[in-house]
Amino acid sequence: MLEAFLVAFAVFICVGGAELAGFTMINRPIVIGPFVGLLLGDLQTGVTIGAALEAVFMGVVNIGGASAAEPGIATAVGTAFAISMGKGTEVALTLALPIGILGLQIKTILYIFVVGMFAKKFDKLAQEGRQKEITILHFGLWTVNWMLYSAVAFFGIFFGSGAVSKLLNMIPDVVMNGLTVCGGLLPAVGMAMLMKMLWDNKICVFFFLGFLCVAYLKLPLVALAVLGVIIAFVIGMNDYDMNQLSQLRPVAATADLNELDEEEEEFFNE
Amino acid sequence: MSKLTKAISKEEKNFLRRIFWRSQTLYAAVSPAKQGASGFCYSMMPCINHFYKDQEQKNQALTRSMSYFNTTIPLSTFLMGLVASMEKENSEKSEFDTNSINAVKSSLMGPLAGIGDSIFWGVLRVIAAGIAVSMGQSGNILAPIVFLILFNVPSILIRYYGTFLGYQLGSQYIQKIYSSGLMNILTKAASIVGLIMVGGMTAQMVSFTAKWSMSMKGETIMNLQDMLDQIFVGIIPLGITLLCYYLLKKKNVSINVLLIGIIVLSILLSALGIA
Repeated sequence: MLEAFLVAFAVFICVGGAELAGFTMINRPIVIGPFVGLLLGDLQTGVTIGAALEAVFMGVVNIGGASAAEPGIATAVGTAFAISMGKGTEVALTLALPIGILGLQIKTILYIFVVGMFAKKFDKLAQEGRQKEITILHFGLWTVNWMLYSAVAFFGIFFGSGAVSKLLNMIPDVVMNGLTVCGGLLPAVGMAMLMKMLWDNKICVFFFLGFLCVAYLKLPLVALAVLGVIIAFVIGMNDYDMNQLSQLRPVAATADLNELDEEEEEFFNE
Repeated sequence: MSKLTKAISKEEKNFLRRIFWRSQTLYAAVSPAKQGASGFCYSMMPCINHFYKDQEQKNQALTRSMSYFNTTIPLSTFLMGLVASMEKENSEKSEFDTNSINAVKSSLMGPLAGIGDSIFWGVLRVIAAGIAVSMGQSGNILAPIVFLILFNVPSILIRYYGTFLGYQLGSQYIQKIYSSGLMNILTKAASIVGLIMVGGMTAQMVSFTAKWSMSMKGETIMNLQDMLDQIFVGIIPLGITLLCYYLLKKKNVSINVLLIGIIVLSILLSALGIA
């Protein structure tokens, strides 16, 4: 009961809070995992699970409403189950995926049928200049929306614990080992999603450069980030010069032409 | 940065700061039809109340700001500053075309979201998360704090100064930057950093170790993982990542199918004793 309440609280504060307070990324697995861990008294496991899930959900960002799963509720509930059952990352991962997919569906339903319903009301209030009501509705909808969403986490933990632990005990060792393997491979999907966003055939070689630097040269990510910024800076400056040149050329060409015209005119005038 | 705010009066600074604070709640009541419209309207209230004294004008300005709004959050205040500068112009000149306010707003939010998404979500967040995940994997409890600081310090600073910058520059200057092609250069540079990081993270985070080996008379004569390492370190993670990308981009396979595919593949590999 208390556990269910704490997890729901974490979902409300982190996932809802991110939407209220400027998308500060407190709804990411790397933050929620440790937060749930802290609330349930096992910070260490929370950090490890949060990091593992962040790697999987790294590519999952809500861009233009298109997403695959909601990482926040997935991490909160997955971490809570893993901690309360004394299990590790694999269990959290296995549970987090279906919960995240389900969570996104619920989020979409709330988004359409709770908040979406008030779009007309907002317009009307704006036309009538009722600023106070707009403000109240703006915050009120947030509260209702995320209260309902965190209630999902509450009931998930409250009713799901028994069933989930029974289910996990039924899973054979071969499958459990498979899930460990899966934990290593799943971040590939997140990376692929990021690549989809950034990939351009002209610059895709840099992906392989990054891979090489870490796989063979064992460069830490911080160093790689700095290296990346330096390369991007050099290329950006180069492009900027090219851009300036290409803008100068047509102007210079027309100037020459004008001069010629004038000379010709002078010639003919004589 | 003091140069940036020099020409702005004290009262203007005051309401711009309030726009910045209010902009944090931009997507509190996000809806499918109008995205952050209510948040935009809520953020613009101090500015509207500052420039318009007549109730009818106020209502019109509120209605204007209640239109569809969607862009990357850290760049949203820049547009708010820009719109505020146009509302100011409108309140001073009677011949100002009010349609141009929403026209500029909606023509800029798309491109700004494009560049903002790749810089903030694609690069900054990825760098911050990449560093934090490698800390978290070794159990360092500072990981979430490092993540939040790395992401939020630059993004909040940009959001704060963006409000003033947008207000100061006005709409004409922005269109000039766009036509000069500077935005494309910036997007490309950001994507390069992003791709390098994604490459590095693929090497670090996607992992696979083969267990299968062939032994004869109790001696191992062939170890699959050693063999793979000799071909190319991390060949399996790299291959699977590229395959996922290919399926995602070229075949339009949904992400959920990919996730389930990986789970099935892993269990299969485990059942066959390969991993």
